[in-house]
Amino acid sequence: MTYNSIQEILDICQNNKIPFWRVVLETDMRERAVCETESFETMRKMYRAMCEADSNYDKSLKSESGMTGGDGEKLHIYNMSGKNLCGEYVSLAMEKAVKMSESNACMRRIVAAPTAGACGVIPAVLLSYQELYHTEENKMVEAMFVSAGIGNVIAMNAYIAGASGGCQAEIGSASAMAAGALAYLEGGSNRQMANAMSFALKNMLGLVCDPVCGLVEVPCVKRNSAGAVNAIASAQLAMAGIESAIKPDDVIDAMRRIGNSMPSELKETGQGGLAATESAEKIRKAIEL
Amino acid sequence: MSIFDIIGPVMVGPSSSHTAGAVRIGLVARRLLDEDIRSAEILLYGSFLATGKGHGTQKALVAGLLGMKPDDYRIPDSIKIAEERGMAVSFGEAALKEAHPNTAQIKLVGVTGKELEVIGESLGGSRINIAQIDGIETNFSGDNPTLIVHNLDQPGHVSEVTSMLAHKSVNVAAMQLYRSSRGGRAVMVVECDQEIPADGLKWLERIEGVLKVTYLGKNEGDK
Ligand code: SF4
Repeated sequence: MTYNSIQEILDICQNNKIPFWRVVLETDMRERAVCETESFETMRKMYRAMCEADSNYDKSLKSESGMTGGDGEKLHIYNMSGKNLCGEYVSLAMEKAVKMSESNACMRRIVAAPTAGACGVIPAVLLSYQELYHTEENKMVEAMFVSAGIGNVIAMNAYIAGASGGCQAEIGSASAMAAGALAYLEGGSNRQMANAMSFALKNMLGLVCDPVCGLVEVPCVKRNSAGAVNAIASAQLAMAGIESAIKPDDVIDAMRRIGNSMPSELKETGQGGLAATESAEKIRKAIEL
Repeated sequence: MSIFDIIGPVMVGPSSSHTAGAVRIGLVARRLLDEDIRSAEILLYGSFLATGKGHGTQKALVAGLLGMKPDDYRIPDSIKIAEERGMAVSFGEAALKEAHPNTAQIKLVGVTGKELEVIGESLGGSRINIAQIDGIETNFSGDNPTLIVHNLDQPGHVSEVTSMLAHKSVNVAAMQLYRSSRGGRAVMVVECDQEIPADGLKWLERIEGVLKVTYLGKNEGDK
């Protein structure tokens, strides 16, 4: 039992009558030669490290460049004012995404998921869910296995780093991983989890990696919140019973091909897109790194 | 690739290559020196040089040299901590040609006067490669127990090393040989599946023609 595609995970689920998360867990047990407890508890550690990073957010921190800091607190205040536009869950997820991503830019401890640049997306979606619906921790850890399995397949068949495939590979992958996990938490079928993942990745295709001054700050922090919202929207589409016309593995393959045809200026070099604007030039001069 | 390369590692941000990878380069350099550091000259190249400041690359390298791991929350304060511990640190530009874009050249002097020069590359994710030790090319990550033997380029040294390992029931995962010139200085880099016992290392040190034995054990010691 080992998987190289989403379809293979789904087939193993069906043939062995086991849930998606368990396929990922059992594969990890075999590949690293560890027992079930060790694999599960390692994932629990990752989940708890995300929770810890979230609660350690410090609104007074500024990044070395001065571009990042304090926006998570602004979202928090707006959410608390009762005026927020997005409803409770989405607002909270956005807040957490921005906070985590700011913590990363300010050299705080985070969990790369799948990368440090996209570290806000998955905890935003999962931690907010648990906070609002009081889900048992074990179930949250199972959802983490779902997202890890999706990320693993994406890494095997396309990319998870902005330098290799653009931001679609980084925030896009994180969003797809979070969407599948959220569909699982909502009681979705395997098929619905695969649909949620497909929608999320499709919505992010073509997104380039164009960080100002080559630093993981602008536009990365806000893109984490976009990735989180997109994950929730995609899970909603899937839970409503909508089917993705493009199969999950085909979406991943499309992401890879799009990444291949992206010029290097748009892959984390800080030379194209937003990084090549007049505003970015001003920032560059101002911070003189 | 393990799922904990996808979810994880737990690390201090902002960048797995420019921060976490840099910590690991510093840490491996420190473990190679195998004693506290009196002074460190850190020279940066490529993207490490261009975007290192904003990514905390310098702080990360110093943190590693102090024995910290990539998830140590003290990384942002490493330069101050180095000062407190009496470790002198200086930074500059590395005069390298066509090196990997994320490269650091580190020159260390230990508290006993022992010297070491390491060139490390951060490959992406938080994976690293040690590309040079004391001017001689190498290629290893430091993920496995690694034995590095500097010796005179004479017949017999390879078999001395491998027979010691066989005697200690240590399996070789990968072995590389490099030399500066024929009959000059050579380096053997042996990555192993098991730890090498200390008496085996002592035995190697006593062999004629062996100039230096460095061992990188598995446990990434924190101080
Ligand atoms: S723009 Fe690039 S660096 Fe920023 S989050 Fe996206 S992929 Fe990462």
